[in-house]
Amino acid sequence: MDYDVIVVGAGHAGCEAAYVASTIGLKTCLVTIHLETIAQMSCNPAIGGLAKGQLVREIDALGGLMGRLADETGIQFRLLNSSRGGAVQAPRAQSDKALYRLTMKKWLEDTPNLTLFQGIVSKILTKSNAAVGIETLDGYKLRSRAVIVTPGTFLNGLIHIGLQSYPAGRANEPPSILLSQNMKSLGLETFRLKTGTPMRLHKNSIDWTGFTPQPGDKIPVPFSYRTKKPLKNRVVCHIGYTNSKTHEIIRQNLSFSPLYGGKITGIGPRYCPSIEDKVVKFPQRHRHQFFLEPEGLDTSEIYVNGLSSSLPLDVQEKLLASIPGLDKAKILRPAYGIEYDAILPTQLLPTLETRSIANLYLAGQINGTSGYEEASAQGLMAGINAALKIQEKSPFILCRNEAYIAVLIDDLISRGIEEPYRLFTSRAEYRLNLRMDNADKRLTEYGYALGLVNSEDYKDYQEKQARLKRVMFFLEKKKFPVENGESISLKDFLKKPEGKWENVIEYVPSDMFLTDEEKRFCESEIKYEGYIKKQEKEIARITKLDGEKIPRGIAYTNVPGLTREVIEKLEISSPRTIGEAKKIPGVTPASIINLHVAISIHRKQKAKNVSRGTQKRNRNQKRK
Amino acid sequence: MLDDTIIAVSTPLGFGGLGVVRISGHSALPIAKKIFHPKKTRQKIPSRHPVLGYLLDSSSNERFEEAYLTFFPKPHTYTRENLVEISCHGSPVILEEVVRLGIKAGARHANPGEFTLRAYLHGRLDILQAEAINDLITAASFKQAKISFRQLDGSLSKTTTVLRQHIIQLLSQIEASIEFPDEGLSISPKMIAKTLQRAENTVTKLISSYDLGKSLSEGLLLTITGRANVGKSTLFNTLLEKDRAIVTPFPGTTRDYLQETIKIRDALFTLTDMAGIDTPAHPVEKEGIKRGKKLASAGDGILLVFDASRKESHEDLILLEKFQDKKVLLLFNKSDLPVKMDRKKIKHLHKNIPSLTISALKGTNLDRLKEMIFTQFVPTQTGSEEVVLHLRQKLLFEDILSCLKKTKRMLEEGYSEEIYVEEIRKIIPIVGQLTGEIQDEDVLTRIFNRFCVGK
Ligand SMILES: Cc1cc2nc3c(=O)[nH]c(=O)nc-3n(C[C@H](O)[C@H](O)[C@H](O)COP(=O)(O)OP(=O)(O)OC[C@H]3O[C@@H](n4cnc5c(N)ncnc54)[C@H](O)[C@@H]3O)c2cc1C
Ligand SMILES: Nc1nc2c(ncn2[C@@H]2O[C@H](COP(=O)(O)OP(=O)(O)O)[C@@H](O)[C@H]2O)c(=O)[nH]1
Ligand SMILES: [Mg+2]
Repeated sequence: MDYDVIVVGAGHAGCEAAYVASTIGLKTCLVTIHLETIAQMSCNPAIGGLAKGQLVREIDALGGLMGRLADETGIQFRLLNSSRGGAVQAPRAQSDKALYRLTMKKWLEDTPNLTLFQGIVSKILTKSNAAVGIETLDGYKLRSRAVIVTPGTFLNGLIHIGLQSYPAGRANEPPSILLSQNMKSLGLETFRLKTGTPMRLHKNSIDWTGFTPQPGDKIPVPFSYRTKKPLKNRVVCHIGYTNSKTHEIIRQNLSFSPLYGGKITGIGPRYCPSIEDKVVKFPQRHRHQFFLEPEGLDTSEIYVNGLSSSLPLDVQEKLLASIPGLDKAKILRPAYGIEYDAILPTQLLPTLETRSIANLYLAGQINGTSGYEEASAQGLMAGINAALKIQEKSPFILCRNEAYIAVLIDDLISRGIEEPYRLFTSRAEYRLNLRMDNADKRLTEYGYALGLVNSEDYKDYQEKQARLKRVMFFLEKKKFPVENGESISLKDFLKKPEGKWENVIEYVPSDMFLTDEEKRFCESEIKYEGYIKKQEKEIARITKLDGEKIPRGIAYTNVPGLTREVIEKLEISSPRTIGEAKKIPGVTPASIINLHVAISIHRKQKAKNVSRGTQKRNRNQKRK
Repeated sequence: MLDDTIIAVSTPLGFGGLGVVRISGHSALPIAKKIFHPKKTRQKIPSRHPVLGYLLDSSSNERFEEAYLTFFPKPHTYTRENLVEISCHGSPVILEEVVRLGIKAGARHANPGEFTLRAYLHGRLDILQAEAINDLITAASFKQAKISFRQLDGSLSKTTTVLRQHIIQLLSQIEASIEFPDEGLSISPKMIAKTLQRAENTVTKLISSYDLGKSLSEGLLLTITGRANVGKSTLFNTLLEKDRAIVTPFPGTTRDYLQETIKIRDALFTLTDMAGIDTPAHPVEKEGIKRGKKLASAGDGILLVFDASRKESHEDLILLEKFQDKKVLLLFNKSDLPVKMDRKKIKHLHKNIPSLTISALKGTNLDRLKEMIFTQFVPTQTGSEEVVLHLRQKLLFEDILSCLKKTKRMLEEGYSEEIYVEEIRKIIPIVGQLTGEIQDEDVLTRIFNRFCVGK
């Protein structure tokens, strides 16, 4: 055995997976095509955003790298939705792409138990339906107990610019055609997705006076709970708009679009439409917003967030020329679209291990998601679970009410996807509890128990929690005079929509000084208290329902309303409870209801048969 | 639980000349064959084609009734199971006997609504539609039957679906502004309030329609009232076309109130004959009057009877005043006798009260009277096209209403979006319970279709 764990692909998923597996103590090898592109941001130079920002905080609380790295290499920081409540606030940062890559590479190189290795993986080695290693293009074989595959958009990647196309994993990088074939031959079902990226412009070719600056926050909010050094904004982004002339050019050239010309068959994300998509789908709009974002400090490249496209280069140039300020812009890298293979995620277990091949884990874009943060989160979970399995420990599976990570994975494996999946806060049933201000409270204990959070950080965490508890207690007890001689507790005051921390600060003793981060936590806890309590009750109820036993030897064919497909799945997995049945991919909510009804009728009838006599007696008594 | 075969009379007992017994389940046909023999012996039973034959008691092998049997093989049946329908004489005795024999032959007596339950469990109908079918089967009154038909073609589902769309639209607007804060998608509180109000109006209307639905399914309550001896009991009996109340020529013979249900043009009316309004002597009568009076005020309408063969009395006019704002139909009775009452004057005084001259004893103008009862008392305008018939539905709509109201309040008090949106989010699963559909992703789909978001 060469390694415990082999990770294929050093993208955002792969780096995180390799880091946690080796930190947990397993001998790990991260194999990737180019060591120069470790943690490459294929698309926009930014981390975070709504739901994604929360995700990064969760990764951080569990001991992952993304949060710390985003802080380390961030060049502009903004807290989104700062005027709204804590549950929908999220950090977002512009990153220095090159620095991000280099820092990740350095951190991984310095990680004990971890070996980096440059190679193109062409095959997953298996033995009696279990992964046992990998083989590279040059025939080199490595053996391991688990393989985590994270090849991003590389599987059978096909890049489109206009009606031209060429196989590639990312611009000018080799596609993984053999690996894709190999995955299919292992019996994994794949489907085709697409995504796209905008052009990069030279900053000196832009007339910046035409655009509205969008600076970072005065007080930057970090991603990581562990980031101690103050963060600094070093760049400014700019906002601009397309116009009807731009749209006209796009309309005239739609026949050169691979998508509208019918060349692309993969499904693209609705939330990340290309500019031609926007123009076609929203003909009534006369302009579309875009952002000009620097790709780093030591580069002149400007990322045009919002103008993703797969139109031919000359059309890209024409449409830029129609926008004042970009009329002389020089394209350094053209925008392009890419089609790639993804694996139907319903073939995965909640641990991200494939159902059909033991010890083979998949994470990231390969599972149909899109986004660095989504990839990272999956990598983290796949790495943890691969390690736990090797250590013969029970798997680490989070619940939907605990973390966005769980919402993401559960959505993938139980609902499947039709388009590239992105996390949204509205996908969470318990949004008010899944916050950036309490991710540490939700997950640090797990991270510590897994050995991913070190004891120093854990001590800081415990101290913070103790402090918060004390302050919360104080807020509850301390009265505060209001009109007509009455007084209410600080907590009750903060509960009101108009209750702001500034108004109570004078009553809080100085030894209870809180950081902004901690204030946000207190405010959220107080403002959402009623809802969180109710949700906890609901969770308890659902947990009970999930615990409902399915009678042994139940004949699913007799349960009405189940399709043959569902019956088959239930028969194969033979779940013991409703909760387990729910988790089986392809078992729809409707069939769960039918199953539940059937079970309860079954039980009622059984009860009736047993106690028919007593029931009758009771009824008679009632009549009297 | 669904592996047994169920049987039940499927036409309401006592209606019409023909009765139908339904058998549903895996063994529907084998069971039916034990109790039914085709006229042409050895005839194979075809699908969906009535076969003439005899019902027979398998124990005695005695034929007792001619009947038609139709076999509907699954899955294209009401229950999506094998289904047999036996049509025979509608006499309750015969129908019960068929069911008894079917049970003896191995079927189980269906629980109320079980056919529909099975249809639903087999994924055939959404819940609203399933309930509507049940109503159709038991629909006693014409209007209710019509409402049921409408639910069946998905009309209440439609209103609910429209409501759901409004909620989802609102939700998607708010969610879009939360998820994409950089895209300037904020929606004004005023707009939100407007949408909430619109949804609230729809829901309020539906909730209030429940009372109507209920009165229709149970029949409209009509009270016959008037002074003693004006002919109320006579009218009551004439309308019933059978003698129930004791009719005597002496005042005060109607000791308690009586209730019977009649059907006019398929609508149900429960008639109450109460004792005369005159001061009663007997305590039993007193009780009857009290209860009757209560009924008159709680009911859906009043038939006020005057004795036209006498001059109008002070009491008559007082009664007329008293019931002014109720739905009243004024009847000048005893038209077979010389008329002494000044009908013109009374009509002039109360122009808005419809009246009719009749003879309860002779049955004069009876058809006209029934006609007027129907047009006068059956509500035509409910304010809402759809009628909520079930308590379950009504309660769910009330839940929705309370969410809408709470959202409105929070909006006014300045709560932040992500808090009040929780109330709106709650509505979607409730609507799901109404229509029986469960759909995720709808809000997101809506966001992407409506807003141009994403970079
Ligand atoms: C053109 C384009 C546009 C995108 N646009 C967006 C967007 O707008 N919004 C968004 O959220 N996300 C976008 N993304 C997606 C985002 O880049 C990914 O979601 C994210 O990087 C996925 O992370 P990953 O770890 O799964 O894969 P990647 O980051 O793609 O990493 C895959 C890694 O695997 C390596 N690899 C591949 N095959 C092999 C092999 N056979 N052997 C060894 N190593 C291999 C590659 O070299 C690479 O290092 C875009 C990606 C591309 C390419
Ligand atoms: N001639 C005539 N007598 C009637 C008519 N209706 C009722 N009566 C008589 O009036 C008397 C009182 O009738 P009854 O129905 O008991 O009156 P109630 O006290 O109002 O219920 C009986 O003798 C009836 O036969 C009618 O239309 N014509
Ligand atoms: Mg009488």
